[in-house]
Amino acid sequence: MDIAALQLKMRDAFRVEATDLLAELDSSMLELESRPQDADLLNRVFRAIHTIKGSGATAGFNEMAAFTHHVEELFDEARMGRLIITHEMIDLALQAKDLIGQLLESGNPGELESTCAQVVEALAKFLPQSLKPGSKSPSKPGSTAAQKQRHKIFFKPHAQVFFSGTDPLNLVDELCTLGDAKVTGLMDGIPSLENLNPEQCYLAWNVELASTQPIAKVKEVFLFVEDESEIKIESHNETALGETAKKDPLADFVNIAGQSLEALDGFLSQLRASKESNRDCCKNYLRILKTFQAAAHRQDQKEAAALLEEQIHLLEVAVTSGTILTEETKVQLEEGYQKLAALIQSLREQKTSGRTPETSTTLPANAASPPTADGAKNESVRVAASIRVDQDKLDRLIQSAGQLLVARNAFPILAKKLALEHGLSGMGKEVKDAGDHISRIAEDLQAAVMSIRMMPIRTVFQRFPRLVRDIGRAQSKEVELLLEGEDTELDKTVIEQIADPLVHLVRNAADHGVESPDVREQAGKPRTGKVTLKAYNQANNVVIEVVDNGRGMDPARLKQKAMEKGLITASAAEAMDDRSALELIFLPGLSTAEQVTGISGRGVGMDVVRSNIRQLHGTTKIESKLGFGSKITITLPASLMVSKGILVEAKGEEYVFPIDSVVQMVRLPSERIHCHAQSHFATFRNEVYPLLRLADHFARAGQFSETSWPAEVPLAIVQTNRGRVGVAVDRFIGQVDVIVKPMGREFAEIAAFQGTTIMGDGRVALIINPAGFI
Amino acid sequence: MAKTIMVVDDSSSMRQMVNFTLASAGYQVVEAADGADALVKSTVQKVDLFITDLNMPNMNGIELTRQLRAAAAYRFTPIVLLTTESQQEKKMEGKVAGVTGWIVKPFQVEQLLVVVKKVCP
Repeated sequence: MDIAALQLKMRDAFRVEATDLLAELDSSMLELESRPQDADLLNRVFRAIHTIKGSGATAGFNEMAAFTHHVEELFDEARMGRLIITHEMIDLALQAKDLIGQLLESGNPGELESTCAQVVEALAKFLPQSLKPGSKSPSKPGSTAAQKQRHKIFFKPHAQVFFSGTDPLNLVDELCTLGDAKVTGLMDGIPSLENLNPEQCYLAWNVELASTQPIAKVKEVFLFVEDESEIKIESHNETALGETAKKDPLADFVNIAGQSLEALDGFLSQLRASKESNRDCCKNYLRILKTFQAAAHRQDQKEAAALLEEQIHLLEVAVTSGTILTEETKVQLEEGYQKLAALIQSLREQKTSGRTPETSTTLPANAASPPTADGAKNESVRVAASIRVDQDKLDRLIQSAGQLLVARNAFPILAKKLALEHGLSGMGKEVKDAGDHISRIAEDLQAAVMSIRMMPIRTVFQRFPRLVRDIGRAQSKEVELLLEGEDTELDKTVIEQIADPLVHLVRNAADHGVESPDVREQAGKPRTGKVTLKAYNQANNVVIEVVDNGRGMDPARLKQKAMEKGLITASAAEAMDDRSALELIFLPGLSTAEQVTGISGRGVGMDVVRSNIRQLHGTTKIESKLGFGSKITITLPASLMVSKGILVEAKGEEYVFPIDSVVQMVRLPSERIHCHAQSHFATFRNEVYPLLRLADHFARAGQFSETSWPAEVPLAIVQTNRGRVGVAVDRFIGQVDVIVKPMGREFAEIAAFQGTTIMGDGRVALIINPAGFI
Repeated sequence: MAKTIMVVDDSSSMRQMVNFTLASAGYQVVEAADGADALVKSTVQKVDLFITDLNMPNMNGIELTRQLRAAAAYRFTPIVLLTTESQQEKKMEGKVAGVTGWIVKPFQVEQLLVVVKKVCP
């Protein structure tokens, strides 16, 4: 596979993961806002950002990675206990998170550059001086000398080299690939057999290498072993004398020591400031001490190592016993720190005055006790085990399962044929039994496949805490969001399309519905407003409610507004009851908000909400009480694919009612049908139902072209969003299994039908949408 | 026979990216989500090289290295740290634990292969 294709694959893989991580960040950052000191939470946030940065850069999202780096620094500082997360930081981090999402989606990240720069600048204000952008050291320049050089290389690996998984011979071999090489093994170090430890390395090598590669390439071979091994490289340019690659171990040590001291200083001041025991801080302190000590051992800085040993012991006792750091311990820590600082300072002076002691031998790192403090932290982050499947594959599976359901209908027909036409009734029964068996399996399969498409509504709901919080903060309101029934499942397509309408409704509730705390207090309500988002199952439907306990809607004002905008006439307004008046809010062009705020009223009106929900074959209902709040109820079919239906015929056309919508099927004597004020009613078991004739309903809306009825009327009593309605048909054909095929974009506006289905014999029937057909 | 490389990283996309790269060069690749996962998987399958992230939940890369070095089968097996933390401190910690080398994220495809060939030719 070529590299370009690889990178494309990488980018795809990364996008999928990043989307998940960003969603998780949203919720964990909000949690963090209420518990800014929670170390596990901080780690979780940090790790998510860290992954986005690291994997993103590898996948080639360079701008995004560079930007994310700044966000990561903020949480790294917080994780290290060097700063405390505030509301402002979360605000900024959330903003940055959104930007990361945009950078990922954007085909041209450059256009977001100025926005990013602003956020980076704002972030920098929270960061300590040393971390501010621009203070980074530039990367080392690479030399590109093409001239052939002779290198004399001496390589003596550390005796314990095998324990770092390195095979020194590999390195020698690698040197040989760089040019013409002459290798000499130096076996002087091998002891007599009885003293030989087979797991130690006693060998050393001399390599004479003639190569056009720059010296950097040669040094690179020893990249992983240069600290512990003895390496000398002499390079000759035919005439000029080369440099030696021997590193200055003291300089390294002083460097590391400086960094460690800086970090220790930070923790010390924290310890000084806090009264209670700061376990995390102590652990970090201990970790740095140990790293420091390891370095000291390696460079044979006995004095420093001994000092560090003391300090480590001191802290280990405190950390493991869990006792509070006593003042005395703190003083001892500080003293230790001062001594170390003085020692390092003297080393630094030694170095600059040129009195570098000759430390060409490397010491075994035997005394260095491996650090253990930063061990595994058990995090119990619950992640559902799942597999990602291509949507196309899933759809194919669903189709096949659906086709199987239709195909099984052939068995009873075959059985009948065998029995009646061929006189093989025994055979017919066997075929029927086999068919029944397959039928049951097909049903199970269908149910299982359909459940794959079902997703908990949580995925939609989880974005709302952030939304409500942002509105609250932007408007200085106190709004509490309650989520209920997040596990309610809906078809994936529904989930995807319900998000936008819900965002609009929740926004409205928090923005326009909930009043400011002062207003609420004056009205005798608690200062904190409440928005409730609730989902639950009802028969084959899922109901979603958006409820607020805010100011409510005024029907009179809605009428007034609608009249002003010329949407209704004065007489129509006069005749309108309060309930219908509330429905006016769904008219295009009517917005009740006195002023359009930055949050709601961005042009997407309630009319769009309603039409979106209609497209999903759902309904919307609005209730409101002035001063007490509003409630919007959305009813949606849980799955867009009905598996069973009642096939009926009306005027030569076949229609399917979803089986859950049909309450009863009766043959009603025609004398039970009454006509009143041009409307027909059917009475059945002491109930009166509005009546409509299916053929006429779809022919010319609501008008009966015929007035006569047959002696017995086949009547389906159907549950609609306007209550139960009697639907007269010409004939019941029977129960069928159907796969709902959506009707295509041109017909998506038609709420009367859920879709079409192909019958077992290849004909097409329309599937009625009980929630929208009247 | 193709060498088996275990990629340990809590980022699934990172694992996939490394996996694609190594698979394209003919290596067998086993993935593990964190140190603990890697330890378990390494007992059922012989691994010729570990490439591990540093910062992971459950068990980090350094601890994984320590545990692997304590197991007879992996005392001398190369372990490469794959990490964005290029600081000296982490490298040192890793070396003490017994890592063979490191690759700094973000890596280039060629870079990763160079290091892999270096420690596990």
